[in-house]
Amino acid sequence: MNIFLRELKANRKALIIWSVCMFLLVVSGMGKYTAYSSGGQNNEIFNKMPDSLKALLGFGSLDVSKMSGYYAMLFLYIELTAAIHAVLLGSGIIAKEERDKTTEFLITKPVSRAAIITSKLLAALVNVLILNIVLLVSSIVMVSAYNKGEDISSEIVMFNLSMLIVQLIFLSLGAALAAFIKKPKAAGSLSTGILLVAFVISKITDLTDSMNYLNLFSPFKYFSYTNIVEGNGLNVIITILSLVLVAIFIVLVYLFYQKRDINV
Amino acid sequence: MNMYLYELKSLRKSTIIWTCAMISLAVLYFSIYPSFVNDAEDVKKLLGGYPAQVRVALGISLDNITSIMGFYTMVFSIITLCGAIQAMIFGTSILSKEARERTADFLLVKPVSRPAIVSAKLLASVTMLLATNVIYYIAVSILISIVKTSDYSVKQFFLINLSLFFLQLMFLAIGLLVSVFFKKLKSVLPISLGTVFGFYIIGVLLATGKEDGVRFISPFKYFDIPYIIKNSSYEVSYLITGTMIVIVAIAASYIIYTKKDIHAVS
Repeated sequence: MNIFLRELKANRKALIIWSVCMFLLVVSGMGKYTAYSSGGQNNEIFNKMPDSLKALLGFGSLDVSKMSGYYAMLFLYIELTAAIHAVLLGSGIIAKEERDKTTEFLITKPVSRAAIITSKLLAALVNVLILNIVLLVSSIVMVSAYNKGEDISSEIVMFNLSMLIVQLIFLSLGAALAAFIKKPKAAGSLSTGILLVAFVISKITDLTDSMNYLNLFSPFKYFSYTNIVEGNGLNVIITILSLVLVAIFIVLVYLFYQKRDINV
Repeated sequence: MNMYLYELKSLRKSTIIWTCAMISLAVLYFSIYPSFVNDAEDVKKLLGGYPAQVRVALGISLDNITSIMGFYTMVFSIITLCGAIQAMIFGTSILSKEARERTADFLLVKPVSRPAIVSAKLLASVTMLLATNVIYYIAVSILISIVKTSDYSVKQFFLINLSLFFLQLMFLAIGLLVSVFFKKLKSVLPISLGTVFGFYIIGVLLATGKEDGVRFISPFKYFDIPYIIKNSSYEVSYLITGTMIVIVAIAASYIIYTKKDIHAVS
């Protein structure tokens, strides 16, 4: 319990800063909505463009003059920021002991390594949940402030659920890498690199359909935005598979950390 | 001189990794250019059925986008993101690593002034960024001549890639300034990534309008690629502002670092 509370307190300042920044991001993003929604006559042209051209302009296959399409476009950047937070949190919370030279102190306490990992991961999970809820609330409030059309609150909830899963994937990935790699400082850079690759892949597969198999490597693309926008919710099979992936990564964290040679 | 060479060596591995990453990205994007051009051809045929006004509006933007320069605009936005992250990480870590890795007291008791130390580190970072840009430019020039379907202006291409170097200088200076404010930066990544992505997202979301004032907020928008393509030059006001930011940030870093209390072990 102590370790869990201590980790919560240690991450408190960072969480507040990230939450405020995300809130500002949502506010400024929605503020731009009026610019996109007022050009009504452009709709016809937009709808007839092939997807690759629309991707070049940044919209992908979404109709950005409607609130639901615009929110979907905005959402990619919100998800990117949340994923960065999750990856840095996951890799940092495991690697920070060796980075700050506090490992010896912690490991010699009468708690098993598994218990340590459990407390840390739970604290990270709470952080991720708080960020997600902050985003959910600010999205709903801001969207209803600017929305002229139909209510999309249920779609926002779906979006946030998919984002939660992406956050969990990157959180557990960062933690597993940090537990595995010998040099703890490199864990953060490596996991961020993987995240950037996933982001670039999602941008590239938007451009052309020929490489859709690459979507396997990009958690940003696991849930189809167009499906959510149309109100179809999340694909159950993909949700279950993603959760299985998260579970695998978490098991890896425990495995690697138990066997790890801890450098004091 | 010693410090400069030492810092060059310490930055070497990181620079190689970043350069390879940026070139690989360019390769990836250029490999889908042929199929992208095919898509565009189909749209141009479709356009035949539209009223003249729509055709003009869409046709112009189409020609722009599907030309190799237009396509490169999109490639370049991702490349600048990577370059900015590299420069920001260099900037934030080059001074703070002494405190982080406990080498501060070794370095600072040497008979070199603190400004000399900052100069050597700064010059080493700039050299490595320059090397990254040169190698990247050579690689992309080769790539583009393989993939192009029509001719392009070498001067425009050079100016676009030069803007990457200026952008990196700006982030290097910003990173340097940010790092001197902290007693000990435990981890460079959160603040670097947060700043870079923050500016990038602001640039993407906020600066799409014509209000010029907003463009000053995000360094990513200081060099507008369509403008460079049209006029083969940079916008002077942004160039001056960028230079001012770099000079002020670096000067402030010198001053603060010289006066700062640096802890040997903390």
